[in-house]
Amino acid sequence: MLEIKNLHVSVGDKPILKGLTLSIQPGQVHAIMGPNGSGKSTLSYVLAGRAGYDITEGSITYNGEDLTALPPEERAAKGVFLAMQYPVEIPGVTTMTFLKTALNSQRRTRGESDLDAIGVLKLVRAKAKTLNVSEEMLKRALNVGFSGGEKKRLEILQMALFEPRLAILDETDSGLDIDALKLVAEGVNLLRSPERAMLVITHYQRLLDYIVPDRIHVLAKGRIVAEGGKELALELEAKGYEHILKDVA
Amino acid sequence: MTLAVARRAEATALFAAQGVPTRRVEDWKYSDLKSALGEAGIGAQVAQWHVTDLPAGVEQFDLSQANPPGWVIDNFARGTGNVMSAASLALSVGGVALRVPKGAAIADLLKLDFTGPGHVRALLVLEAGASLTLVEGVGLSEFRNVGFEIALGEGAALDHVRVSPADADAVLVEEAHVRLAAGAQYRAHFASFGSRLSRMELEIALEGAKAQAHLSGVSVLDGKRHSDVTTRMIHAVEDTLSTQLFKHVAGGNAKAVYQGKVTVAKGANGSDSNQSAKALLLGEAAEADLKPELEIFADDVKCAHGAAVGDLDADSLFYLRARGIPEAEARGLLLHAFLEDAVAQIANMDQRELVRTELLTALKVIA
Repeated sequence: MLEIKNLHVSVGDKPILKGLTLSIQPGQVHAIMGPNGSGKSTLSYVLAGRAGYDITEGSITYNGEDLTALPPEERAAKGVFLAMQYPVEIPGVTTMTFLKTALNSQRRTRGESDLDAIGVLKLVRAKAKTLNVSEEMLKRALNVGFSGGEKKRLEILQMALFEPRLAILDETDSGLDIDALKLVAEGVNLLRSPERAMLVITHYQRLLDYIVPDRIHVLAKGRIVAEGGKELALELEAKGYEHILKDVA
Repeated sequence: MTLAVARRAEATALFAAQGVPTRRVEDWKYSDLKSALGEAGIGAQVAQWHVTDLPAGVEQFDLSQANPPGWVIDNFARGTGNVMSAASLALSVGGVALRVPKGAAIADLLKLDFTGPGHVRALLVLEAGASLTLVEGVGLSEFRNVGFEIALGEGAALDHVRVSPADADAVLVEEAHVRLAAGAQYRAHFASFGSRLSRMELEIALEGAKAQAHLSGVSVLDGKRHSDVTTRMIHAVEDTLSTQLFKHVAGGNAKAVYQGKVTVAKGANGSDSNQSAKALLLGEAAEADLKPELEIFADDVKCAHGAAVGDLDADSLFYLRARGIPEAEARGLLLHAFLEDAVAQIANMDQRELVRTELLTALKVIA
């Protein structure tokens, strides 16, 4: 589903990713772990199509198509979803209006008809329940005054609503206490399916206790330096990143 | 009997001494009226006014008629040193006076439109305890100058909504002088889509304790359009309250101006004033001049002011696009959101919705 080959990405003149290669099949959950500054967030932004990240070498292919040629909104319509580390606050736009606009924008780009307000409301309510997102939250301005946990739950609610084929979760565990983390992880696990691939980006092993990946990649200095099964996370937790980085240096 | 003979003579002298303002006049630094008018100048025509369906309970007097009633004589041409207001008084015998009698709560909107070129005067008096919503319409014209006086009696409440439409050529200036007695409330919203030169100047005198004024405004400007809101808020006595919230979006070569001076007079202790002006610039050539000012001669006052000019937030734009919202629509949504808190200040729901709809239309073009 997703093939990243020898990816080099610069921000300004500074190279961040230096030859990253990664392949994810439908139904799989992959985790990317790495220390601060290793390029984890850069990878997530490049996949979602943020401006300012220049691909200097390599390729990203998504379902056989060159992903890098598409603007962010078309990637979203084709099923790429990025749950962001820092969801933005937008005063003046209610959460419900935002969800409806986003959902119908994606549908329109795919050539589908708009859902009416009641249709969207029903859909949102059904998904909101399992994630403990209240009606009151949906009426508030997008993410404004939301706690860390509320923001992350809303990210996962969007993931449930948009039903992406490739979901990228960037540091979804950051800023969450253990209860909030469990709730978010449950929401994510409910969305695991044979058609859907997930890329879970995290600094800590903690999240992977709850979202158990099929494969773990360790990112350091812009490249994948180690790969393995779920047990790799435990090794990292026990020995730290330095241990692995030393081996590859 | 011609109304206010002596005051008209004073106004004539004032205008003769100062003339049409140029950029060299500090207050007109960002709005060059003289060059916008060109050779035609301000002329001496009398502009028109029109009241649609005068609500029951509101009294109307045509200022060009003889024998004005006492309430007009008492309140008309109370005067300020404002040069363009002096020009309208000196050059126009036309205009309208309106009165809401003591204690009358008028539910229907009062719709007052100004049209045609030239100068015109207006007077609105709300007696003690009266309340009204005034919807002011601005007709397009090559040049019009409106001198507006508003007097609010004790505990009176006026909601004022004014929408200035977009036009490349019109030169539209207005000076409103608002006086508030104790406990009176003035709430005004100014939406502007800009013209060759468009200026709304307000002088608000909070003359009675617990008087309060709440001003808000939005502008969406494109092309070479210009919009200026200049306010002078005078806290003359203690325990008065004022808030101001202005938001501008300017693209192309457009120019948005906000100048706001808050004066807290000696002895006006316990006054509370808040001023905020923000602008988003959508192009290299767009301009915003935001100038909040404070002049405080009293103790124990609360005065806050702020101004900010910026571009659309890149994080927000990316967030919306990453959720599937196309760029132009995402920009429109963010611009609308930026303006929304100022629009939400309009108390009348129908008027709020009308302004919102006009903003959305203008934002579609500019985004």
